[in-house]
Amino acid sequence: VVPGVDSAARQLCFEWGPAEMLVCETLFGGRGGEPLDDRCQQSPTPRRFLAGAGEGRPSSSSVFVVRKDQDVYVQTLRKLFNESHGIFVGLQRSEEELAGKSRKAHLVQVSKNYRSVIRACMEDMHQAAVSARDPALHSQYSTQVSILSAMELIWNLCEILFVEAAVAGPLLIRLLDWVRLHVCDVNNMVREVLSSENPSKHELFWNVVDVFVLQGRMDEARHLLSKEASANPTSLTMCRVLDDLMKKMPVPSLGNMQTLTELELKWQHWHEECQRYLQDGTFASNSHMESICKVLLGDENAILEKKELLTTWYHFLVTRLLYCHPTVKPMELRCLKCLSFIMSCYLPPQSSMDLFLGGESSAEPLDIILMAAFEFEIHQVIKECSIALSNWWFVAHLTDLLDHCKLLQSHNLYFGSNMREFLLLEYASGLFSHHSLWQLGVDYFDHCPEYGRVYLELHIERIPLNTEQKALKVLRICEQRQMHEQVRSICKIMAMKALRNNRLGSALSWSIRAKDAAFATLISDRFLKDYCEKGCFSDLDLIDNLGPSMLLSDRLTFLGKYREFHRLYGEKRFSEAAKLLLMLMTAHIAPCSFWMTLLTDALPLLEQKEIIFSAEQTYELMRCLEDLTAGKSDKQKFQDDDVETMKVEMLRLALARNLARVIVKEGTLEGS
Amino acid sequence: MVQTSPVTLQHDAQMDYYGTRLATCSSDRSVKIFDVRNGGQILIADLRGHEGPVWQVAWAHPMYGNILASCSYDRKVIIWKEENGTWEKTYEYTGHDSSVNSVCWAPHDYGLILACGSSDGAISLLSYTGDGQWEVKKIGNAHTIGCNAVSWAPAVVPGSLIEQPSGQKPNYIKRFASGGCDNLVKIWKEEDGQWKEEQKLEAHSDWVRDVAWAPSIGLPTSTIASCSQDGRVFIWTCDDASGNSWSPKLLHKFTDVVWHVSWSITANILAVSGGDNKVTLWKESVDGLWACISDVNKGQGGVSAAAEGQQNEQ
Repeated sequence: VVPGVDSAARQLCFEWGPAEMLVCETLFGGRGGEPLDDRCQQSPTPRRFLAGAGEGRPSSSSVFVVRKDQDVYVQTLRKLFNESHGIFVGLQRSEEELAGKSRKAHLVQVSKNYRSVIRACMEDMHQAAVSARDPALHSQYSTQVSILSAMELIWNLCEILFVEAAVAGPLLIRLLDWVRLHVCDVNNMVREVLSSENPSKHELFWNVVDVFVLQGRMDEARHLLSKEASANPTSLTMCRVLDDLMKKMPVPSLGNMQTLTELELKWQHWHEECQRYLQDGTFASNSHMESICKVLLGDENAILEKKELLTTWYHFLVTRLLYCHPTVKPMELRCLKCLSFIMSCYLPPQSSMDLFLGGESSAEPLDIILMAAFEFEIHQVIKECSIALSNWWFVAHLTDLLDHCKLLQSHNLYFGSNMREFLLLEYASGLFSHHSLWQLGVDYFDHCPEYGRVYLELHIERIPLNTEQKALKVLRICEQRQMHEQVRSICKIMAMKALRNNRLGSALSWSIRAKDAAFATLISDRFLKDYCEKGCFSDLDLIDNLGPSMLLSDRLTFLGKYREFHRLYGEKRFSEAAKLLLMLMTAHIAPCSFWMTLLTDALPLLEQKEIIFSAEQTYELMRCLEDLTAGKSDKQKFQDDDVETMKVEMLRLALARNLARVIVKEGTLEGS
Repeated sequence: MVQTSPVTLQHDAQMDYYGTRLATCSSDRSVKIFDVRNGGQILIADLRGHEGPVWQVAWAHPMYGNILASCSYDRKVIIWKEENGTWEKTYEYTGHDSSVNSVCWAPHDYGLILACGSSDGAISLLSYTGDGQWEVKKIGNAHTIGCNAVSWAPAVVPGSLIEQPSGQKPNYIKRFASGGCDNLVKIWKEEDGQWKEEQKLEAHSDWVRDVAWAPSIGLPTSTIASCSQDGRVFIWTCDDASGNSWSPKLLHKFTDVVWHVSWSITANILAVSGGDNKVTLWKESVDGLWACISDVNKGQGGVSAAAEGQQNEQ
């Protein structure tokens, strides 16, 4: 629905532009000859096009421009687009060389690269938000930061579960890292407590310890415990026990060569040990430490009590895994029925979920996406991301990466192309609406085997060719890909433009490039006309260096040759010039309309002291002149002014004189 | 001071090939051209020449220069051209007996050809032959009562796609579709220099208001969208290259007249001006069903509806 439009009074009609859509108000029913009802309406919405109504009245109907992919226009996102483009192209090209483990490592690296680009963009956006003075702008940037943060969160999880496909053991470690990286609401609190004089006296001390425990940061928790121990001698024993338990906690580690079975065994023992201490009442006098012990035992209620510190359901999920089942396998994760249980019993306290569009109070889009990821429903993840995000960037690149991981089954869509291609096509199409990002789009289309080429053909023709440079750039792209139709079309457009601006040389070179004979003829005629009017040629360089392209059109050939005649004359190579001049007429290269000019050009050659034209040549010239004058109808002769008639007379005289001289010369014996 | 100047209603607005200029036409008989680069709106020209409301405008391909066609209730079709920075009338066609409702330029590969549909039931084809001359071919009685819309098929060279030597024109088979007050969509084909009715597509139960032939993306199928006074929008597809069997699929039945249909340049989205005063966007899904995607909350890929585009400056 378009704002500002009074639906009752107006109907909407629209048309597609190259990248956006127009909507304008109108009242249909006029066509077919029915009379219209004129109605008056004010449309105060800004950013519209004013049209209609004269005499300075505010507009009565407006046109709105609806743009898809608004994000393309945001400055800071451009960096994201540019850098991810580099990563994308690199990924497509590197495919063939690697296999097996090194391939997986490479793909993980690519994924990390994408994420670092997102983070870099987030940083920039954050800076922009901080320095923005306009509150609307500030909120716009902040929203963008949240969105980018969510994107990185999702991507990171997908990297762990799909790209790296972490196995049992490392899986938990990665998930813990993930949580630590992304649940940062508590960071301020942590900082505050750690930097205080007497941390153990701080009112939030135990909260921070809890945070460390919940995030599996045992060393840091132990460090704080030691402070408590020294500050509070009465709790020394308890602290020692707890510290010991924490130290001994078996966790999967990356470097550790122990098998899962060993780990599980150790963990069982440790779990039992914790249980004993709890049941013995060791921590009975300190509720904080008792609750921490319960957490270590994976007591759900104890963990849930710390809801405020967990802040998100996925943190809760990972913490539970840590303390209930650290050797979780990906397969098991998928089948965790408790997932929905987790969601339903755990409602996020604040709207950190308000990251995406919409503000539904139940499962937010982000939650749905993360859930789908935990359940290894890759297609679902992609689908939900497509819905939630306003730009194709994320899904296009992620899907492409997942496709390289061979994780996507071919999902036939209408056009028969798979999902990866579909998303890339959409993303790249969006880039084409931008005056410089379109160049990135070209590479994306190149890597879409089914429809990339035709999409490129359709889009590249719509790029405004504002400058010659841009046109050349576009041309080069088309030529590299043998898009002959587009090359021709673009050259024709540029030729037409040049002609309109009276830049004949440019127009000519464009039409030569377009191999457009008709146009070349037209322009050659213009050149010749200009010559007749001004007596000299413009763009001599171009005409002099035509080379074989001269043959594109007869008129063009004539132009080239005629110029050559002038050059020869200028270099005083008179007999060559004469020969050429004659040939232009006898070989009918010159159009009849130009013969008079050519004959007139012959005059100075005839008048030279030295004889240039031979007898035979002179006869030829005379014949040409007679052909020319005979060809004129009586009417034309009548219309010929004195200058014309005088010219003919002069020519006849000059030719006769030359003939006389040459006969004598040729008849005379040499040396006598 | 009492403002008494008449209100104008815009009937059509068209972006040029590159999206840098906007042409609008309205009931005040004017055709206006704006420069809309970088979100601006500078009036470049206010063209007067029609004597009645102007229904539609159409930009020719830029290789022919800056050319715009307009058609009007005054039975005229005017072709405007920009020469030396100013817009002027370059040709005026008055061969119709009644309001001319629709104009559409043929694919640039065919040359500069304009199809015009009129309420007198005829369709005219104006071809530029050079030197300011236009040749006219008329299809009389194309639709009884009147023709409301014309739309050209994309240019496809039949047979092999080997590049023709320069200067030689490939043998294109020219086709276009028209919609009329006889509730029909018709497909016309040029044979031996004559235009013949090739197909009659029947499915609508009231006047066909608009037809739009989808751009080609290299598939052998052809697709046409048609909309009508009966509230229905049909998608017609023809699978074989000879163009013989067209089958309709109902996109949607709207509650009111549907006035306009338009394809995006890669033909993957169809925009429909619904009678319920909304512009909706449609896309074909995996299973061949058409789904509406312009609802932001449920749409695939977040194609912004107008409100989004205007207010969410992300």
